[in-house]
Amino acid sequence: MERITIEQALPRVFQDGRPIESEVWNAQAEFQKGKTYLVEAASGTGKSSLLSYIYGYRRDFGGKICFDGRDCRTLSADEWARLRQGSLSILFQELRLFPELTAWENVAIKNNLTHFKADREIDACFEALGIGEKKGQPCGKLSFGQQQRVALIRALCQPFDFIFLDEPVSHLDERNSSILGELVSGEAARQGAGIIVTSIGKHMELHYDKRLKL
Amino acid sequence: MRLIWKLLQQHISPGQLCGFFFANLFGMAIVLLGLQFYKDVAPAFSGGDSFIRSDFVVLTKRIGTLGSLSGSVGAFRRSEVDEVAQQPFAGRVGVFTPSTYNVNAALDLGGSGAGGFRFSTDMFFESVPDAFVDVQADSWRYAPGTPEIPIILPRSYLNLYNFGFAQSRSLPKISEGLMGLVRLDIRIDGRGKARRFTGRIVGFSTRLNTILVPQAFNDWANAEFGEKRPAPARMIVEVKNPADERMARFVQDKGYETEDDNLEAGRITYFLKLVTAIVLLVGAVISLLSFYMLMLSVYLLLQKNTTKLENLLLIGYRPALVALPYQLLTAGLNLVVLLLACVALCAVRGQYMQVLSRLFPQMESPSLLGTIGVGAAIFLAVSLINCLAIRRKINSIRLHRD
Repeated sequence: MERITIEQALPRVFQDGRPIESEVWNAQAEFQKGKTYLVEAASGTGKSSLLSYIYGYRRDFGGKICFDGRDCRTLSADEWARLRQGSLSILFQELRLFPELTAWENVAIKNNLTHFKADREIDACFEALGIGEKKGQPCGKLSFGQQQRVALIRALCQPFDFIFLDEPVSHLDERNSSILGELVSGEAARQGAGIIVTSIGKHMELHYDKRLKL
Repeated sequence: MRLIWKLLQQHISPGQLCGFFFANLFGMAIVLLGLQFYKDVAPAFSGGDSFIRSDFVVLTKRIGTLGSLSGSVGAFRRSEVDEVAQQPFAGRVGVFTPSTYNVNAALDLGGSGAGGFRFSTDMFFESVPDAFVDVQADSWRYAPGTPEIPIILPRSYLNLYNFGFAQSRSLPKISEGLMGLVRLDIRIDGRGKARRFTGRIVGFSTRLNTILVPQAFNDWANAEFGEKRPAPARMIVEVKNPADERMARFVQDKGYETEDDNLEAGRITYFLKLVTAIVLLVGAVISLLSFYMLMLSVYLLLQKNTTKLENLLLIGYRPALVALPYQLLTAGLNLVVLLLACVALCAVRGQYMQVLSRLFPQMESPSLLGTIGVGAAIFLAVSLINCLAIRRKINSIRLHRD
């Protein structure tokens, strides 16, 4: 996938006639493969909604979102599954981990599907993010910051053209935040992928090609 | 797959599944047993007189004292036969044609020469259309001019001789086969003519209580030797449903009488069908309820695991793959139920077949394959519906935010 275009998209809840000042909603916006974007927003302006529309688990919006010109509303369930395995990766704000599985299993459940990384590569990620000794623990027992790192490793266990990071460093310190940034930008560079980060203030230190105000 | 299963088996309630399992097992076992029992028992009633397919009732006019004195023969008129044929309970209707000529039958024992015995008796013949004859003998045919006449006797005659006469006089008992070898010397006369025939007993009937010859012979002989037009005094009626109360009412209103207990036997068959239908219905209702129970508990399971299922779909699992563990679970349970129901079927059938084979030794036992086929069809249909419903539910989870 080369580009994601947003054409006059607007969440239905915003369609009450209020004037909207946004570079994304009710406007023409585009994300290109290989570039890094920061979408800045105040809370309640629909930042997570935007990602859920692009990622295909909500459709309550007007306008169009297109992948290389194809309206994403026309994709079938299996096509979405293929995109989520090979083109689009995401770090959810609410993480969406499985609390009853261990940290390692949470990553493995994705990697078993894509067979993208070798076990030692996943190990290296755990070590690099400082949660190597937490691999065997149920995710439900980890702190939110630790879970955030597990979810990121899971997001990296697949080929992608775009990776979305929804407030990726909200619960991380400076050090871990920059390690995470390096991991993501390293992986994206290897794959020639685009990065789209959302933030309500504190954001990951990356070289952004474009900043958009939501 | 191991991780998916580890994840999705959360919230599975063994109690609910057990409940479904046993309910479904009972339902399935009852349905299969009911079917098989009917298949096993029905031949016992359809052999010989074949009154499982249709019933035959012989109607006569009531013989009153006044009628006897006045010499009225109580014959049926054409209009009365037609009236019976038009009744809703009646199928085919045939009349008994009596012989209007004289018949004398003789039997030579120990050879016809000196020292032999010769029994001789006056008797009569009757005939009914061939379709009503319950003895399927190939020789039940008469071509005008041939000297041999096939004869069917009531089975009660043979019994009367074997268990009454032969018993009390220490005479040998005669089997049906042996009777077939006996040749009767038949002499027919009327209108000043006479002719000899050889009579051969080709069978015994429980339905037709008369000395029966083929219709073709009787028609020919009545025309040749008969002294008056034959007036049918008995009528044979094929009855669609022997328990039809309209039939009983009609017979009573017209002052007719029914001759034998075929009506009773027919009622037993009808009763058997009814009981089987009720058993099948009960089994089907239990099966249906258990199916409903399984669907409810799977839906509940899916509901409890909604978030997990949604997350699996969001990390790239195809809906088909997410549905698979639940589909395998339900199909597996259904399969175990089918297998156990078949085992139960064999065990219970083994028991009742012992009793049945004592009651009806000559009865052949139908195969189990048909019933097991029905079981397999139910299994396939139920599993297919289960799988489709699960898939639909997963799809609705995928789109529930729409």
